Amino acid sequence: MSFVPGQPVTAVVERIEIQKLRQGENLILGFSIGGGIDQDPGQNPFSEDKSDKGIYVTRISPKGPADLAGLKIGDKIMQVNGWDMTMVTHDQAHKKLTKKKEDVVRLLVTRKSLEEAVKQSKGSYPKH
Amino acid sequence: MPAEVKQEQSPSNATSLAMMQEPQEVVEETVTIEEDPGTPTSHVSVVTSDDGTTRRTETKGISANVKVTKMVKTVTTRTVRQVPLGPDGLPLPEGTSPLGSYTDSIDRRYLKNGSDRFITPQATSTLTRSYNNSYNDSYGETPESQYIRHYGLHDGYADLTDNYGSLSRGVNYRPPRYPYMPNSYRPENSYTLPIRKDDYGHVAQPQVPMGSSTVDLNRSQPERFQPEPYGLEDDRRSLGPEEEEPYELEPDYSTANRRTLPGANRGRTHREPLRDGPRVRGYPDDPIEAELIDERHPYIHGMYSAPLAQPERGSMASLDRMGGRRSPSIDSIRKDPRWRDPDLPEVIAMLGHPIDPVKSNAAAYLQHLCYENDKIKKDVRQLKGIPVLVGLLDHPKSEVHRKACGALRNISYGKDNDNKVAIKNCDGIPALIRLLRKTNDMEVRELITGTLWNLSSYEPLKMVIINHGLQTLTNEVIIPHSGWEHEPNEDSKPRDAEWTTVFKNTSGCLRNVSSDGAEARRRLRECEGLVDALLHALQSAVGKKDMDNKSVENCVCIMRNLSYHVHKEVPGAEKYQDPSALQAPGSAGPQRKKKDDAGCFGGKKAKEEWFNQGRKNCENDKSYDTLDLPKRTEPSKGFELLYQPEVVRLYLSLLTESQNYNTLEAAAGALQNLSAGQWTWSSYIRATVRKEKGLPILVELLRSDSDKVVRAVAIALRNLSIDRRNKDLIGSYAMRDLVSNLPSGQQRPAKNLEEDTVVAILNTIHEIVTDSSENARSLIQAQAIEKLVAINRTSQSARETKAASHVLQTVWSYKELRNALTKDGWNKSHFQPTVTATPKATKNGKPGYDDTTLPLMEKNQDGYSTIDQRDKDCKYKTGDGSVDLTEREPLKNDTNRKHYIRSNRPAVSLVDACDVKPQPVDSWV
Repeated sequence: MSFVPGQPVTAVVERIEIQKLRQGENLILGFSIGGGIDQDPGQNPFSEDKSDKGIYVTRISPKGPADLAGLKIGDKIMQVNGWDMTMVTHDQAHKKLTKKKEDVVRLLVTRKSLEEAVKQSKGSYPKH
Repeated sequence: MPAEVKQEQSPSNATSLAMMQEPQEVVEETVTIEEDPGTPTSHVSVVTSDDGTTRRTETKGISANVKVTKMVKTVTTRTVRQVPLGPDGLPLPEGTSPLGSYTDSIDRRYLKNGSDRFITPQATSTLTRSYNNSYNDSYGETPESQYIRHYGLHDGYADLTDNYGSLSRGVNYRPPRYPYMPNSYRPENSYTLPIRKDDYGHVAQPQVPMGSSTVDLNRSQPERFQPEPYGLEDDRRSLGPEEEEPYELEPDYSTANRRTLPGANRGRTHREPLRDGPRVRGYPDDPIEAELIDERHPYIHGMYSAPLAQPERGSMASLDRMGGRRSPSIDSIRKDPRWRDPDLPEVIAMLGHPIDPVKSNAAAYLQHLCYENDKIKKDVRQLKGIPVLVGLLDHPKSEVHRKACGALRNISYGKDNDNKVAIKNCDGIPALIRLLRKTNDMEVRELITGTLWNLSSYEPLKMVIINHGLQTLTNEVIIPHSGWEHEPNEDSKPRDAEWTTVFKNTSGCLRNVSSDGAEARRRLRECEGLVDALLHALQSAVGKKDMDNKSVENCVCIMRNLSYHVHKEVPGAEKYQDPSALQAPGSAGPQRKKKDDAGCFGGKKAKEEWFNQGRKNCENDKSYDTLDLPKRTEPSKGFELLYQPEVVRLYLSLLTESQNYNTLEAAAGALQNLSAGQWTWSSYIRATVRKEKGLPILVELLRSDSDKVVRAVAIALRNLSIDRRNKDLIGSYAMRDLVSNLPSGQQRPAKNLEEDTVVAILNTIHEIVTDSSENARSLIQAQAIEKLVAINRTSQSARETKAASHVLQTVWSYKELRNALTKDGWNKSHFQPTVTATPKATKNGKPGYDDTTLPLMEKNQDGYSTIDQRDKDCKYKTGDGSVDLTEREPLKNDTNRKHYIRSNRPAVSLVDACDVKPQPVDSWV
């Protein structure tokens, strides 16, 4: 999943749609994110390439909306509602995920198991 | 400043050189290219039908001739050029062929006319005019007969032309010259003749053409004549070095002669007679001339009797070198003491001759003599020839001012600045500018701008050029050739720039003058339309993917120079001074840093800082990304364009596409200049470079083979990293390439970069590492410590040592990294200044700065540089140098460059991660 800045990224992605859950005044998705271009990518335990400053799923609350939708710990979030998440700050990603006026977020995520599955089945990467 | 100056100067020299040489080649080329279409083909076909062998040359000659005829109406110069080319065998000596063609025609005549010698000679003369005919005639017979023939030529020519349809056509082009012969012009020739000894070929050529064209004769009178011969001379001059060619050609001519006339063996001798003929008729009025003529007469006779093939060559060679005095051919002089070339004083005196052709010939000869001959240039100056030449610039006749301009260009070229000053002292610069406004002749414009380019390489003249010529150069050359239009017509699509020689010369001149300090920059910035036109030209270059030429280089260099210090020098700059400058990442750095240093709880501090950084970045995001660029009510123009974020894309395109190192350096330098300083626009520029994905482009160029490109890019990255996000990104992505440019210990890397470059890179690394422990970590992982320690301890350069030591101290100041460093086998002593770099020495601060960066960075006024200094002081206080050399040997960095293994990072960073709370990184959604 390493990529060169400024170059298009090729990745196997999965679309995940999460219905936000209302908790009091808050709408929650039930997962936490880490990473961002303003963070130290070296501390990201999930990334394969330790220079990857992408946004990763770090925790998932059991039975929460994200869990139900199939999101996994370690997933890398590529897009949120069409917004690119590969070159954003942590805060920007957070904002995109927590817009109060949106009840649904559509994520584009990639994870290693996806890539491997594709590799084995097709022997090549479909282009996204 | 120094950087700018360097660039400017070197280019100027190169360019001027190029100019000098170019004329020779260019002239020839232009001739063929411009006028070829159409007529030439027909001529060609004719020739071919006649003879197979000669075809090639003939076609060329014909085309040239054709051109001439066309040309004659408008521009005399070109014809002249063409003529010389053709006879000489064309620029590319294929001389034989042209001769052959002539011969062919002659043969025909013979066939037709049969036994009459006279007729034949006439025919020859008409046909060739070309050199051979006239020569042949004279040859076979006494000088008198020659004269007679000349007079009678008109008739003969007419007849001949009629008879030889094909021939006459070819000949026709030349007609202008023909009239020349009969007319008073001959006297001119006589003057030129002495000079032309070298150029015999040239002389002959002009004459020939004249004779050949009957039609032209009728129409074209003296006027045409004059221009052509002079034009020829120009070629000679420019050709000066190549003079040998004509000689080679001569043999061809001689062969031609042989074919036609059994007796005619020596084309050379013939040529001389031609000259003599004109001389005889020359101006009896002028006593000096009369004397010359007298002398020559005998000479002519002598010539006939004893053809001097070799001697002539010698003479030519001698002319080139001697420049004129006692000119050329010693041999010829020996053989005929009465024949000599004019002295330099005589030539200069001829510049004031009442007859215009004499003036122009003299000027042309001067140009020739001065070509690559510094001694002659100096002599001309000391003989007060320069004011006379400058005076001729205002001469109404194009032939005269053109030649004068050519001479001035050669004189102005070279390292002898006294020549340049001499031109300036007699108001040569305003005179050149005046002429530029007046003339539409492309060649003259090239000469003028070339001269100005040469002059502009001398510092004291730069302001003079600006004062007299800036707006004119912009209006007359830069704007029209750039394709830019003041008020673009919406219907027509924007024009592309034309990379003409005139534009190249002018942009080179402006490039030089743009380096003359703040006032010069101000004048250029405020010159109406200049910046707009330059930008348009560059954009056009990018659009056409034509970015490697000299003109583009010149334009980028001007832009780079004008971008220097914009934030201080531009009117109204105060308004844009960044109010947040004090809190900007740069200036905030030191404070944080102090905390860091002072703190006992390294880990926590680190966390805090890290967290703060995150927040800070968000703020930056707001200010740079969301704030976005100010709304403009009307499109920016003039100097405002220099620092509009839109230019970033232009420079990045150049950086991506151009193969020209100078262009690359200048484009990187422009970004460097624009991203320096604390004002609103530099913030925008820094953010825009990032948004336009410029950082990877710059980083890529760190791998360039060109030392200066690497240096400019490194400094640009340093300035760009004033922007916090840029700093983070550069730290992550550029570190490996930065480090790979560093020398490793005693052995320099393959690139072997200069000291300045190494220092610039070290300073950039220092800037990136300062105030960012994360970047320091990247540095460690790029295996830079080995190199830094090696430089610190073993470099021969004090500046390198100092710069490396700064970096090391900064790295060591991050307590959270020490663990990792220790694991790798480093200890405190490695990160302390070596003995040589004692705190005292560095405390002065100034010596610590590398001078190369200074010009473009603002040392004192920018928060940036200030910070630098503080940091240095702190560091020096911290460390006392104890030298431990033991580690030096083991350090090998072969693998460093290529294997920058990111996966190494976790080992270091993950450890920290355990300590650090994940909070900042991790947020629930």
